[in-house]
Amino acid sequence: MNFDAVHDIQRAYRKVVESMSRPGLISDLTVEADKADGQWGGLPVTWVLALMLLDTEVTFCICSQREAELTGLLNQLTFAKRTEPEKADYIFVLHDAGEGDLLKALQGAKVGTLADPHASATVIVESGELSEDFELSLKGPGIEDESFVRIPLTPGWLEARAEKNAEYPLGIDMLVVDKNNKLLCLPRTSRIEEREVLLWDM
Amino acid sequence: MQINYNFAFFDEGSKREIRRATLKAIAIPGYQVPFASREMPIARGWGTGGLQLTLSLVGRDDIVKVIDQGSDESVNAVSIKKLVQNTTDIRTTDETAQATLIQSRHRIPEIPLRAGQILVLQVPMPEPLRMYEPREAETKKLHAEKEYSGAWLMLFEQIMNYGSMTTGADHPVMVHDRYVMAPSPIPKFDNAKLNASEALILLGAGREKKIYAVPPYTKVVSLDFEDYPFETESFEDRSCRLCGSTGVFMDELYDDVSGTAYFQCNDTSYCLERMNEQSWREGAESR
Repeated sequence: MNFDAVHDIQRAYRKVVESMSRPGLISDLTVEADKADGQWGGLPVTWVLALMLLDTEVTFCICSQREAELTGLLNQLTFAKRTEPEKADYIFVLHDAGEGDLLKALQGAKVGTLADPHASATVIVESGELSEDFELSLKGPGIEDESFVRIPLTPGWLEARAEKNAEYPLGIDMLVVDKNNKLLCLPRTSRIEEREVLLWDM
Repeated sequence: MQINYNFAFFDEGSKREIRRATLKAIAIPGYQVPFASREMPIARGWGTGGLQLTLSLVGRDDIVKVIDQGSDESVNAVSIKKLVQNTTDIRTTDETAQATLIQSRHRIPEIPLRAGQILVLQVPMPEPLRMYEPREAETKKLHAEKEYSGAWLMLFEQIMNYGSMTTGADHPVMVHDRYVMAPSPIPKFDNAKLNASEALILLGAGREKKIYAVPPYTKVVSLDFEDYPFETESFEDRSCRLCGSTGVFMDELYDDVSGTAYFQCNDTSYCLERMNEQSWREGAESR
């Protein structure tokens, strides 16, 4: 089945809107991702997001072992320009990125200015399997009380993100995806806390 | 149906631009994200911002409702609905509960919105500080510095001049304790519906080229003073002439012949639904 650049993108976009406005809500983009180019190098769902967000108006960069090759590919596909991580509007951290790449990407990403907080980076991360397990607790706009998720990423990313988002409205927004075509969003307003693991004496 | 335009009127590049701005807006509640507003086949100031948001969101599975000050049948609402329908071939509805996408001019429907629905509000003046500071560069600075004494000053002057806050509509609100935001010219009665809304609320100003958002469950507080608390329009002891509703936003209408004023629900689909329910019930009872 061919990927429909109008309707598949639209459906995927609405799921991103849902997840962005309800942080912690895990959306399933299987229908759209199944039609995506599965061989491009990153996860299919990332390919869908790239097509949804990138064009000549914005810049991007990729963290991956095949960075040069995939950068050329996304550039050809969307006409978006590659730039330094510090200046990029969209930063893709793929599953094969080197250890520490995510932290580097988070630390280097632009956070906007007080006058233009929207001129900040959106970081798209390929993670291990996402789930609603009680591991991280999310609070903030879009969340009624508290929502719980499990996001298996490089240790230290929570601290790096929190540091980046310390001066609201400055900050970065994250889109996290996994190989099961699941997506969840972490806008800069979400406060994340690690839940203490309770050990029961049996 | 033969559609001579791309689905939802826009080219995909325009949709991308609006979508990128929308996602930023959701991430920074109440902050006005500038975007490359498109020329639309309706005049600027007639809902182009809302329309652009609607067209960037709409898909084949959506059911769209468009209202203009509570009415599904006013010219503006009908024209916008027709434009969306002609370029997408999707279903439209008057029933609030049925709709997945609701574009509205100056009202939030009476029936509480739920998760899964998106409310798009048309905004003529997105800048709540504009009356006080005409320069965009300056108002941007004021927002950056969270310097909102001007917003309170405007309300204070109204109290000094008239004894109360006289904002008829578009009473400024504080979103997520950070940004003062123009809620679009909804009556003060509707301000409370912005706070901790279950549905996502998007606001679009086409002429002013701004998109902003109130995500679900976001704290939205109407600006006021300790000694002059925020007050909504009151319809105490009033009920709708047609359906008998109380506690909803009503229009005051004047009957020339009898010389009396009467009240009627402003939200026409809500009123109609209530009346249909009543006649159905009466019919069931008489059977």
